[in-house]
Amino acid sequence: QLLSRAEPSLTQQTTSASRAVRTRPLKKALSDLERRFGVSFAYDDQLVASRQTSVVPEGASLEEALLQLLRPQGLRYTKIKEKLFVIQPAETPAAEAPRDAKNDMAGTIPSAGVLTESALAAVAPQVKRISGQITDETGQGLPGANVIEKGTNNGTNTDANGNFVLNVSDQATTLTISSVGYVSQDVAIGNQTTINVQLVPDNRTLEEVVVIGYQAVRKRDVTGANAVINPTEANRVTAQSLPESIQGLSPGVTVRNTGVPGQQASIQIRGVASFLNTEPLYVIDGMIADANPTINTDDIESIQILKDASAAAIYGSRAANGVVIITTKQGKEGPARVSFTGKYGIQQAYKRWDVMNASEFAALQRTQYQNSGQTPPVSVAEGTFNPAIDTDWQDQVLRTGSLQDYNLTLSGGTKTGRYLLSGSYFNNTGYVIGSNFNRASLRINTRNEFGRFTFGENVVLTNSNVQNQPIGTNPIYDMAYNLPVIPVQDPSYISPTNPEGYGIGSINSISYAYNPVAARNLSSNRSNFARLVGNAFLEFKFADWLSYRFNAGLDASFDYTQNLRRVGVYQYNAAPVPSSINEDRSRFTSLLFEHTLNFNRTFGLHNINGVVGISQQNTRRDVTTGGRTNLAFAGGQYLPTIGAASGIATSAGGTPEYYRILGYLGRINYTYNDRYLLTLTGRVDQDSRFGPNYRTGFFPSIAGAWRISEEKFFNVDWISDLKLSASYGKLGIVVPTLGSFPYTAFINNNPRAIFGDGQTANVGAYQAQLANPNLRWEERIQQNYGLTASFLNNRITAEFNVYNSLSSDAILNLTVPGYLGNLRGNPYVNTASIRNRGVEFSATYRNNENAFKWDVSGNFTTIRNRVENVGNQGQDINYIVSGNTRSQVGNPVGQWFVLKTNGLFQTQEEINNYRGPDGSLIQPNAKPGDIRYEDANNDGRIDVNDRQFVTSPWPSLQTGAQFNGSYKNFNLNVQLIGIFGYTVYNDIRRILDSYQNTNFRRDISPWTPNNTDTSDPRLGLEANDQGIISNNLAYSDRWLENASYVRVRNIELGYNLPKTLTNRLNVRGARVYVSGQNLFTITKYSGLDPDVTGANIQERGVDNGHWPTPRVISLGINCDF
Amino acid sequence: CDRNLDIVNPNQVTTQVFWRTADDALVGVNSIYSTTHRGGISRWMPFYYIIRSDIGWSQSPDPGILNNMDRFLISDYNYGNAYSVWNDNFIGINRANQVIANVPTIQMDETLKQRYIGEAKFLRAMFYFHLVTLYGNVPLILTPSTVGDRPSSATIQQVWAQIEQDLTEAIPALPATYGGADLGRATKGAAYALLARAYFQQRKYNESLTPLQWLVEGDGRSIYALVPNYRDNFLITTENNRESVFEWQFAENPAEYTDDDTETPNHNYGTSIAQFFGPQSIGWSDGECRRWVVREFYEPTTTGARDPRVAASFLFDSTDVRGPAFTQIYGRTFLERYGANNQRVWFRKFQNDHWKNEEGYRSPNNWRYIRYADVLLMYAEALNATGRTAQAYPFVDRVRQRAGLAPLSTVRPGLSQEQFLNQLKHERVTELAGEGWRWNDLARWGDLGPQLAVRDPGFANFQQGQDELLPIPQTDRDLNPNLVQNPNY
Repeated sequence: QLLSRAEPSLTQQTTSASRAVRTRPLKKALSDLERRFGVSFAYDDQLVASRQTSVVPEGASLEEALLQLLRPQGLRYTKIKEKLFVIQPAETPAAEAPRDAKNDMAGTIPSAGVLTESALAAVAPQVKRISGQITDETGQGLPGANVIEKGTNNGTNTDANGNFVLNVSDQATTLTISSVGYVSQDVAIGNQTTINVQLVPDNRTLEEVVVIGYQAVRKRDVTGANAVINPTEANRVTAQSLPESIQGLSPGVTVRNTGVPGQQASIQIRGVASFLNTEPLYVIDGMIADANPTINTDDIESIQILKDASAAAIYGSRAANGVVIITTKQGKEGPARVSFTGKYGIQQAYKRWDVMNASEFAALQRTQYQNSGQTPPVSVAEGTFNPAIDTDWQDQVLRTGSLQDYNLTLSGGTKTGRYLLSGSYFNNTGYVIGSNFNRASLRINTRNEFGRFTFGENVVLTNSNVQNQPIGTNPIYDMAYNLPVIPVQDPSYISPTNPEGYGIGSINSISYAYNPVAARNLSSNRSNFARLVGNAFLEFKFADWLSYRFNAGLDASFDYTQNLRRVGVYQYNAAPVPSSINEDRSRFTSLLFEHTLNFNRTFGLHNINGVVGISQQNTRRDVTTGGRTNLAFAGGQYLPTIGAASGIATSAGGTPEYYRILGYLGRINYTYNDRYLLTLTGRVDQDSRFGPNYRTGFFPSIAGAWRISEEKFFNVDWISDLKLSASYGKLGIVVPTLGSFPYTAFINNNPRAIFGDGQTANVGAYQAQLANPNLRWEERIQQNYGLTASFLNNRITAEFNVYNSLSSDAILNLTVPGYLGNLRGNPYVNTASIRNRGVEFSATYRNNENAFKWDVSGNFTTIRNRVENVGNQGQDINYIVSGNTRSQVGNPVGQWFVLKTNGLFQTQEEINNYRGPDGSLIQPNAKPGDIRYEDANNDGRIDVNDRQFVTSPWPSLQTGAQFNGSYKNFNLNVQLIGIFGYTVYNDIRRILDSYQNTNFRRDISPWTPNNTDTSDPRLGLEANDQGIISNNLAYSDRWLENASYVRVRNIELGYNLPKTLTNRLNVRGARVYVSGQNLFTITKYSGLDPDVTGANIQERGVDNGHWPTPRVISLGINCDF
Repeated sequence: CDRNLDIVNPNQVTTQVFWRTADDALVGVNSIYSTTHRGGISRWMPFYYIIRSDIGWSQSPDPGILNNMDRFLISDYNYGNAYSVWNDNFIGINRANQVIANVPTIQMDETLKQRYIGEAKFLRAMFYFHLVTLYGNVPLILTPSTVGDRPSSATIQQVWAQIEQDLTEAIPALPATYGGADLGRATKGAAYALLARAYFQQRKYNESLTPLQWLVEGDGRSIYALVPNYRDNFLITTENNRESVFEWQFAENPAEYTDDDTETPNHNYGTSIAQFFGPQSIGWSDGECRRWVVREFYEPTTTGARDPRVAASFLFDSTDVRGPAFTQIYGRTFLERYGANNQRVWFRKFQNDHWKNEEGYRSPNNWRYIRYADVLLMYAEALNATGRTAQAYPFVDRVRQRAGLAPLSTVRPGLSQEQFLNQLKHERVTELAGEGWRWNDLARWGDLGPQLAVRDPGFANFQQGQDELLPIPQTDRDLNPNLVQNPNY
């Protein structure tokens, strides 16, 4: 072993013990200093092992003490970095002894006899002396790096300045240079005698420290399933919110995007195990606060996703859906540094519905009316069809949107104080008219050390504005099926209820689509969120191994939403509404106070570290809403205030959120000889949202790991690290939508008793709705089994996890028997059970040895979701229903439950032959060209009882892949996503292909006696034609489509401006890049985007006018000044 | 920092802070009365007591009403309107249970407290009376409901015993009368009358004598009397008169939009029964009267006129004795509306044609739940049943004479016990038709059976041993397997 941290032993607990001895091992003396000054020494064990010292360097500074100790020994020290000193011989020897190469590479704790016989033998034939310097990424000498003659045990390590000298054999062709934290590199020797190598830092090294909640540990010591997402990768995607930026980057994390500006992408970790809440918990710089679009993704320095019980149990009752830990960028030691990033992009919906123009539509609708024996309406009839009206509603709705993202950061610091100040602005002008999101944010972080104290804060202030479609409208629907023969605006439509004459269809051209332009102009919905999220902390170091931290967090948000309605209608036959304004104002505050003690001690081969603490969070939201009809209208415009309106006023207010959580948390990590790892984690949470008997919960977990590669018997050269791990634990989840008082019984004061001569109403009051005082958080038992490995000198790293989580008390509102006399809705009960099982795999291969450096990573996930129990739904009912889905015991949550179609009837004979067991016609109203349905229950007719389970809305496989390559100043990043084996219910196509009051797809090919080779049924009107009505049944598999897709999520090509240029420009470094987001999607799905977020948890695969993820082309620049 | 986890909900009053004051007790009791506005009780229950009996029938276009409420063709044990009767009575019971459980702990005037508990017990007994006479073997729930309660079915005897106990306990706590603003609350007399009726349905005539005697010969004699004009029992202007023993109080709320009295204060304070019994083109005409009932009024008055109760009770071609051309149906003559040959008969008692020419869902006309005339006839029936036929005559006579008929003691003296009972059956039909007691009368007399098909063809489907009771809703049995289905369902 070349470098080792000195290990304090039990005998050295007090300095008085060392005074008593005249001489003592040098190693002990050094250990004392380490403890006393809180520093670490790195030295060659061989160099120090046998040395004794009588020097007792009392009262001296560290530097003096070291000099006193080392000079008599012929040793010297060099300060490598803060708190790390390397101890070396005073004179660099001419040649270093060869070393045991295997131990070098892994950088592990030493085993004793490092100089083997064979190693000594290898020294003999050395004939060539090579010297040189190994430098780090900044060009500074890298001490302690290993330099080895490849294929032998012959090697040395660099001195404090990164210099080395090594004698190699004549045959030697290659040197392998490695250092902890850097990517190993092979260098050809050739004729050189001087070899200088600059190592590239390894961002994903096993030595990486990860934040696992209240504690930071080496990633190699982690026993739980903990995904570290590289924010550099995440930030290549221009995203409004964190979840959107990490799609495909980590296995087990399902992200589904939306193109709605200001709306958060959907994120689910390892499936869904609740019918009511699938949101993970977010922790931002230690503050438990939602990472919604008001948080700037550019501020993020690291993202950790805690996926299993061992990782997440420290967050107890809120962690069952996983925890996303975000730390923001911090200042670094060094002179003030200014950096700027700017990005400008354009965005577009990459696909449109291919629907008919006016004349094509008119021709086909004429045919449709003729097929049904009816006279076509004048809008499309020969002679009256007006070709001047040809509205492309998609042109009216869609536009080229834009994205702008600018960040300016000032940071710097000294040894004891660091700061970062950044301002940023993000703007997304949506690709749909009337949609916009912008966010300005200001971030301040500082960190100061003062003796044993460290204190600092992370604060972000953001101001976000969202402008969106009026509530209840979705132009993505309207633009697809509104009729091209309806004008956007036309004087002929002007009436008192439609003063601006918007085209809303008429009896001659019926469409129930909203006129999306009218909706956007007549109604507006905008919100503002002014938010502050941050924390301040104070740390006190009792000893090298024990520190205390007080953390105070605040999340405060002032939200405002305004809905404005002007006079006018935007739909055929819509009832006119008065102009109105409604305003919601809400104030949210969440305060967090935490006291934690961190400890970390090593005893010989034993290391024990951990944290204990208490946490308290108080959350409250107060809401006031008001509104009034009949806006004042003056000077050609509306006065958009309640005060100016004159109609019916409404107001309401309340405190929808008001709760307090107390937590008592602890974690112990124990490591023996770096080989056996054990983690015990537990949190006791008390939550005011549950009744006194269910207010306290204990959420424990246990995890263990075994680093097989450290075992003596393990002797596989190409495997550099291999760790097996397993975890088991219990986590909770709260359902916030049930409010802060879900267990309490309310008094309903609406009843009225009539008494007296005057027959007057007297107030009555009682508890109308049954409350469930036993309501509690949902709990989940999670198991995880993992395998982490690195191969070929860490060039390949891989991680494989198998998980199994079971919720046994998921909350549902169960139907209650009538004899309980319940009113106002069924009470919520912890009763259902859902299991999620799956495997996750990720692997990375790096090749940094040549000028063309590249790495490629890939991951995949499977999720098997299964409902185990839905509680007492009544005899023989083992499912719950939502839309066209059933969540039935034995099947996944929200499995499609619809009629199965079986082609088209081609002839009347086929219809006549399609008979039930009693001989009656199964589809007596069908005509040739109509859809044939399966009579699943074989009762001779088609109805809701023939629905059956069909394909799944759950992907069988979710994958992601990333490629990074760099050559000289150019670099390229490619991100791919592949989702396979799931179906989506295409609700827009359901409308289009119903043929009723809708435009037509241009490529339909309706069945006719002369056009039988088609899947599109015959064209006709529903009126008086049961066959056509049956073709359009919403509960059939006709609208389910295979939505598997592969998408090029992002391609980014960057160029680092050369030094010669940057020097001239007076910048330290600059990079320009161009990126294309969502450039290609390969899918059979006929809708706009197969990556739908669904209608709700149970209807995850419904495309109900999902706003497709846009294509974004952007240009960006990053500069450091 | 504040570490208290008992956070008071600022948005709504919770049970944690309720049931503390006398006012809480008062509004708690009021909520029980409010139950009678609910559709299951004020609209659909009369269908089961009236339309299902032999005096009523249905020509509704809704086959559910026809089959379930008239023709004994019940295929769906969760039939929605039956379920609402079941559910609404249990809603009332849940309200009463909350008062009975919580009011005793309130510090307040003891007399008033006992009165509130008494009112709650009276009303709980009333709801169970409905359930036991319609459904029979129902679960007996006497404490506030909690999620997951899975009681077993009680026997009919157990339900009756509870009704008797509740009423017996209510009687001493209830005042004989209320003044002014409290008019309409349950009185001692109401509890006595309901207790007598509970005994009656069990054919415990001897036990029924005590409560009936209080009403007829005891304190009740100075409180109650027959109003001179029979029709005054059914007008909105003469509600809560001296003949009224207990009425469901209804008022019109023009702002209402729902029958659910917990959804909003703007619910229906009235009843929609008038809309559902209303004659064709006025109301839905979903339930109407059999023609034979009109023919029961064969006795002329002592002055030779037609029994005035005919016109007060029915709308038909001869509501005006002069015939369809003179009979006014909501402002137009019967002839105009239906022609001369329409034989339909509609119940008139709780309709509003005396003050407007339309109906609606908000009828404010109080449902006369127990009238003193009924009490007098019950007393006579009890005396007759206990072998005191001669003593029973005067009480029948009081009812007959108010209608202008000759005393029974003059017209039909010296009837045997059986003859007297048969006479009483006639008297009860003519006095009480359309007031909701026919089904229980038939049940008590043992007259339910297919033989009634001669005057009500719906009874052709009547299965003895089954159709006396309705099926226990399957939904509740699915959720609670401890509930036993009624025989032969």
